[in-house]
Order: sequence, then C-alpha cells, then structure tokens
Amino acid sequence: MRDIWVIAENLPWAAVLIAGAQTINKEAKIVAFVNGGESEAKGAIAHGASSAFFLPLPANAIWEGYVPALAEKAKADKPALILLSASRRCRDVAAQLAALLDAPCFSEGKGISVSGDCVSGNTMVFGGLAAKNASATAETVLVTMGAKDYEPASADASRSGPVDTLPLAGNTPAVTARKPKESQSVNIGEAAKIVSVGRGFADQADIEHARTLARAIGAEVACSRPIAEFFKWMPEECYVGISGQQIKPQLYLAIGISGQAQHLYGVRDAKTIVAVNKDPEALFHQNSDYYIVGDWKEVIPALLKAING
Amino acid sequence: MKKIAVCYKWVLSDTDIRVNEKSRELDLEKSKPQVSEYDRNTLAAGVALKAQAGASAVVGVTCGTVTEGSSKDALSRGPDAVYYLDDAVMASADSSTTSKVLAAMIKNIGDVDVILCSEASSDEFAQQTGPRLAALLGYPSVSGVAAISVAGDSLTLDRKMADGTEVVSVKPPVVISTVPEVKDAPIPSVKDILGAKKKPANALTLAGIGLSADAVKPLFTINSVLAPESKRKVVRLNPEGTSIDDAAKALIKQLSTDGIL
Repeated sequence: MRDIWVIAENLPWAAVLIAGAQTINKEAKIVAFVNGGESEAKGAIAHGASSAFFLPLPANAIWEGYVPALAEKAKADKPALILLSASRRCRDVAAQLAALLDAPCFSEGKGISVSGDCVSGNTMVFGGLAAKNASATAETVLVTMGAKDYEPASADASRSGPVDTLPLAGNTPAVTARKPKESQSVNIGEAAKIVSVGRGFADQADIEHARTLARAIGAEVACSRPIAEFFKWMPEECYVGISGQQIKPQLYLAIGISGQAQHLYGVRDAKTIVAVNKDPEALFHQNSDYYIVGDWKEVIPALLKAING
Repeated sequence: MKKIAVCYKWVLSDTDIRVNEKSRELDLEKSKPQVSEYDRNTLAAGVALKAQAGASAVVGVTCGTVTEGSSKDALSRGPDAVYYLDDAVMASADSSTTSKVLAAMIKNIGDVDVILCSEASSDEFAQQTGPRLAALLGYPSVSGVAAISVAGDSLTLDRKMADGTEVVSVKPPVVISTVPEVKDAPIPSVKDILGAKKKPANALTLAGIGLSADAVKPLFTINSVLAPESKRKVVRLNPEGTSIDDAAKALIKQLSTDGIL
C-alpha cells in the first residue's frame, strides 16, 4: 500500500491517528504532520511514523495557512489515505485538501477499511440517528477521526526518522488575538463517572441535587445542550452531544434528559448508561442499560440513601 | 462590500424520521423538508452583516432536489433574493458535489465577495462545504466563526476553538463557516412571510452555470443507511409494583457488582 499521512491537532491525537493507520494497514509507511514544534514531530516518529513534519501554530496567522503546501506535497507524493484530527482546524484543512485533490473525505469516519483502491467506512447522519456506510475509490481518500478512536501505542524513543517543516502561505488570514478560555475546573472528557442533567431540571438551583449525587459516587456533572446553550446554567464544555462533548465514561447517569439522537451520539461509547426520567416514553430508556421511570426529586434522594445505607 | 451570499441546505427534518425496528432502515416518508436549523442562524448573520457593512445585497443560495419549495421559507428569513438549483442528479450529492455546484452558482451570480455557510448541516453533518467552497473559489476559509463584525474594509471574525477564541482579521473575498451562536434566528413574522412572496427566487440550472452532470458526480457510493442496533441491556429497575427506593437499591447494587461503583 502507498503511504498513509496523518495530520494532527496535537501529538496525543497524532499517536491515535498513527495507531489508526497501523490498524488499517500494517505495512504502509506513515508520514505525520503535527501542530507544534520539532519535539512533536520527533514524538510522532517515536509513536510509529517513518518521517514527520512539524507545523507550528503561527503567532499572527491561522494554522490553515499550511493547506497550499500540504496540497502540493500530497499531489506529488500521492498518499493512499490521509487521516486527520476531527478538530476545528484539521477539519477545515481536511475539506480544503479534499477539494484541492478532488478527493472524497469521510467526516468522523468509523470502521475504515481498505480493499485494493476502495476505502469503506461509516459516518453518521441525521444527528446520530443512523450510520451511513459508503465506499470511495480514489487516488487519495481523506478521513477525519476522533481523539479516542484508536488506542495509541506507547512511544519508543529509540525510533528515528527525518524531521522537517512546511511553509505557510503568504496570503493567510491574520490572527490579531488568541484569548484562552478561563481554566476549567472540570474535564468531563476524562471523567470515569458522569451524572448528567437535562431539561427535567426546571431551575438552575436544582442542579445542586445532581451535584450532591455526583459527589457521593465520585462523578463529574455534565448536561444536555439546552442546559448549557439556551439556559446557560452550566459551562459549554459540560454539554454532551454531537455538537458538544463526545465521551466514553464507565458510567453515564442521565437524569431528566429525553435522549434525542444528537445527545445519545455523545455517549454511544459509554460502558454503562443509566437513565432516570419521569416520562415512561423518554427515548433514553430504550437506549440505556438500566432505567428508572420516576421524578428525579424522588430518585436522587433514594439513590443517596442506597449509597449511604 | 459587494454581495453577501448565504448558502443554505433544504434538508429533511429529523424529528419525523422513524426507524424500522426490523430492518433498521429509516422511514423518511413523514419527514418534511426544511431550511437546515443551523442555516437559519447563518441567514440571520448574513442579513445583519449586510446592514453593518453596507453590502449591496444579501442572497440565499441552495442546490439539491425539490429546492424550489425552499425559496419562500428562505426569503422570509431576510435575504433580498434566492438562487436555487433543482436537479435530480443532486439526490446523490456529497460534499464534493454540493461545493462544486455552489461554487459555480456563486460565480454565475457574480459580485459576491463574502460567502457564509453553516459549519454543518443537520442531515449529513459533514462539515466540509464551506472550506471546500473556499478552496474551489481560491478564497481563504475561516471556520468555526461565532461572531462577525466590520472593521473598515476588513471583517473581524471570532473563531470558537477548543481552547478559547481566535480573533481573525480578513479582507474579502472570504468564505466564512459559522457556528449557531453567530446570530439568533428569529421566527419569521407574518409580515416577513408575506414580504417573501414579493422577492425574487431565481432558478439556475447545471447547464446554465456551465456544469455537466458528469462534472458533479459524487465521489462516494452509498452502501447502506441503517440505525445502529442498540447494544444496551434496557432493564427497567422499577417495573409495576417496585418502589423507587427498591429500584435505587437495585441500581447501586448492580453498579457495584459491575465494578463501576
């Protein structure tokens, strides 16, 4: 097989994409392009790339300015596959590269397999309601992938390979400021246990009951989109769903969340899902491992009693 | 500033889609087309930008099948005119097809120097059309834009990134992909709906914009569209006659047994 490229938002994600490339084809040579400096490029080699390019975030321009150089190189090198982080910058790069190469691109492709020149895989449609299985035969096929789609191999510092960089296009849009987010005290992406709240909570103050339960079982608190985006009762980083966080905790305890496809998509990889909803018809029940039909005002105290007693 | 074009997609509403429990196929029969929800925000942002920048016009642009029916809905959301391309070959369109057709439509409309797209559509959610369009037109792509303001002959764009905000300054021409926060989308009033009837809805054809059906062939072959099988246990812990207290005890015991608590 011809080379597989990985283009990544950061080194940990590059390691995941490299593991993906090795899963798809063990023999292919992997060329990595990583946002960062020389040490990130060397890190990609330690994780299994044969050679690597570092693409530092320009201080005064957008990172997507590497697209023309990447496209020129892709046209010359003709990689069979280009795997990219499904991050904002890399998704933009993926689509621009795909257009410049007149190539197909799987967005958040799952189960990617290659047979001869034909690449197949799944993408989700209608907010996670269904998976579309599609195939494409092309010189180069692009795929964006999630940050946890594959288990990265541990780094082998003894590996070596050539490291280089690429030029930024001259007419790249200017960046006048970067304002980091205020530091978040929670990282629901890493939490093993999550208690999540939805519109079944009619008042912001009521969320405190969910927090009490979360503390009792050592969980973080997340929410559905309306709680963060419309009511702004919780920070945006806390909402789970197709346009929010996609997480895979050991336990996802959904309280007062109806269970729309867009929300379920964010927890489809959770090990165990528990739903609590007073509506017996709530979609979440049929998509849970265990469910209790009941009002959280009764269920949360009962759970606390069961934990403590 | 010249014209602002807002691309929108005429999609099936997902709320009326049912899943056939046996075949796992989707039953789309009851589902009606609508302006993709995210595109309503983008249309509102285009209308606001026209006022702020003093652009000559803001137009809606769409391509697909049965798109003629979209024009009144789109026009009621504020653009001065709509251009639609309605062709059966678009039934199998992927992001590649759509962006090629939109690029040719925008060239045909002429004098467009700001193009707005929602970052994603509510059906495919591929998040490719805006950046693909930018690459095809040779314009810069700025995606994830949550706020747009005018500064002289440049636009200031706030990009929502995973770790914060990136403030970008760019002179048109540019393709901007927006996130829903870019602008609230009010529900069109009766006046807006009546006014829409008086605005022009222009039909374009593939031949008219210089494209053959072959030039816009999709790059993907679709094998199946199936709802995933639920691998969940779906155990109700409080069937008739079981109290909430007993269900809560059963849950905590089960989670301990499973090694989760």
